[in-house]
Amino acid sequence: MGIVEDIKESIINMDGDKAKELIQKAIGESLEAEKILKEGLIPAMEVVGKEYEVGKKFIPEMLLSAEAMKGALELLRPLLAKSEVKAAGKVVMGTVEGDVHDIGQNLVSTMLEGGGFKVSSLGTDVPAEEFVAAVKEESPDIIGMSALLTTTMPHMKDVVAALIESGLRDKVKVMVGGAVLNQQFADEYGADGFAPDAASAVRLAKRLISGK
Amino acid sequence: MYMYDGVTEMTPMERMMAALNGEKADRVPVNIYPRYAPLDYLGITWLQAWEDPDLWVKAQILGQERFQYDCVIDYNMMGPVEEFLGTKLKYPQDDAPMIKEPAIRTKEDMKKISWEVDPRKDGNMPKVLHVIRQLKEELIKRGGGKQLVPIATWGSCPSRTCACLTGFTEWFLIIAKDPEWAQEMMELALPSWLEMVKAEVEAGANLVWVNDPVSSRDCISREAYEKLTQPMERKFIEAIRRETGVPIIFHPCGNWHDRMDLVAQNQADGYFPGTMDIQLCVDKIIEQNKAGKARVKAINGNIGAAMPSTTDGRTPVPYASTLNQSTPDEVEAEAKEVIKVVEDSGLRSILGTNCFPPAKSPFVNIDTITYSARKYGTFV
Repeated sequence: MGIVEDIKESIINMDGDKAKELIQKAIGESLEAEKILKEGLIPAMEVVGKEYEVGKKFIPEMLLSAEAMKGALELLRPLLAKSEVKAAGKVVMGTVEGDVHDIGQNLVSTMLEGGGFKVSSLGTDVPAEEFVAAVKEESPDIIGMSALLTTTMPHMKDVVAALIESGLRDKVKVMVGGAVLNQQFADEYGADGFAPDAASAVRLAKRLISGK
Repeated sequence: MYMYDGVTEMTPMERMMAALNGEKADRVPVNIYPRYAPLDYLGITWLQAWEDPDLWVKAQILGQERFQYDCVIDYNMMGPVEEFLGTKLKYPQDDAPMIKEPAIRTKEDMKKISWEVDPRKDGNMPKVLHVIRQLKEELIKRGGGKQLVPIATWGSCPSRTCACLTGFTEWFLIIAKDPEWAQEMMELALPSWLEMVKAEVEAGANLVWVNDPVSSRDCISREAYEKLTQPMERKFIEAIRRETGVPIIFHPCGNWHDRMDLVAQNQADGYFPGTMDIQLCVDKIIEQNKAGKARVKAINGNIGAAMPSTTDGRTPVPYASTLNQSTPDEVEAEAKEVIKVVEDSGLRSILGTNCFPPAKSPFVNIDTITYSARKYGTFV
């Protein structure tokens, strides 16, 4: 097995120390950061997502793999910046106003990063105007909104309305998720897509970016 | 007799208690854990009712009279014990409080906490007890000297309490990295909420429901549940029974399809299943009852997850949003199926949804639940 495959395995196996050690070794051997990212980190997180979907991994295991991936990415980031590797897309994430639950958003953000996306998080309890400001300032391809409560999820509609009012709706795709949501709510709120979990959020983001 | 002269319906108290004891009353009772519908009925917010506890009491009393379900609730929120132990809460306008800043980040934090609580005087716990006492007093007045409607109170099982003290992400990391620490924290957390439940029952609550939203198949492995959090659920439930003697309903929140056998073994009298297939839940529970490993008498639910197409255990089933997204006909069809599946198994059905019915659910859908209980669940 090559070193990139070993890096992939270490992330799948939730071994952050091993992943860092291997990344440093790979960098020392002048392996391209882009190759490590695209053939090691991204496929690793795809496997983690799939294993979550089929009940082989659970949130604690996903979080550990995510920690390993983040540690690895931290080492690669300066090299990726130098080589101007293009991200799969840019996503601004946030939990809607009134809602401070962050675990869903954190998992989705990590999986998106693992999927090659550039992600910035607005945190929790984010009012509509902050989403709008972020679209103006950061020009993301996608806004990702999360909500855990039936009382807070209608704020997603407010964000979409604010984007329309600001003339920004056509400039950004909107995806939504959260335990209480479903496709019907997503359609009602004017979102472009709904993802029931972190793994499918990556697939959705890729679909939205490709326009399919 | 209750509400209508000349009508021989039994009282909600008789109906609920009979079902939780595995007996048939006049018909299937209805318990929807009415957090939002009474607030919507009065046109008030959760925060208004929190700031004025008598408003919560009024909403519960008028809501029960309006919708005719068979149980009222106190605040049913996670906050008061965890808040006193050090977690900072956010009190939103429209909902129960949520974690703003967890109390525990390190083992040292855990050791610094004073785990002993006195619910009669500490933090916001007395406010919850006040609501229970006022509810009881008001119900007795309206029942002509007798309490005709039961009050359900709430207890947080140790895994949930710990997640509220550490924050959910951190809790899952602790489970992954240091299960012994998780165990130690749950052992410390259990007595605090047990004291609260004892005080709630002493104040007048007639039944307790306990929930766990952090041990489902969506969250942790079956192995972690079996070794770590299920034994603590069982310990908590058995302690409540020993200390209070009131019936206990357990709410496995989310999808627990792969572990319903273990859930049934935690010794609750009734189960209020989350987003799961009703037939699968009933089959697993009956299996455990027959094996002598469970003592389940009733299923409370499960409109929103009644369709047989979900029995593979992986297909996502709808959250209680059925109540605000479906038509009355659809609610009735699910109610009919739930009653049939549960009652045919020999368990008692307590009709309801698979979580709190969402805020702003059309009143006609809520009315349809009791309508369906009368239409499809009348025994006499």
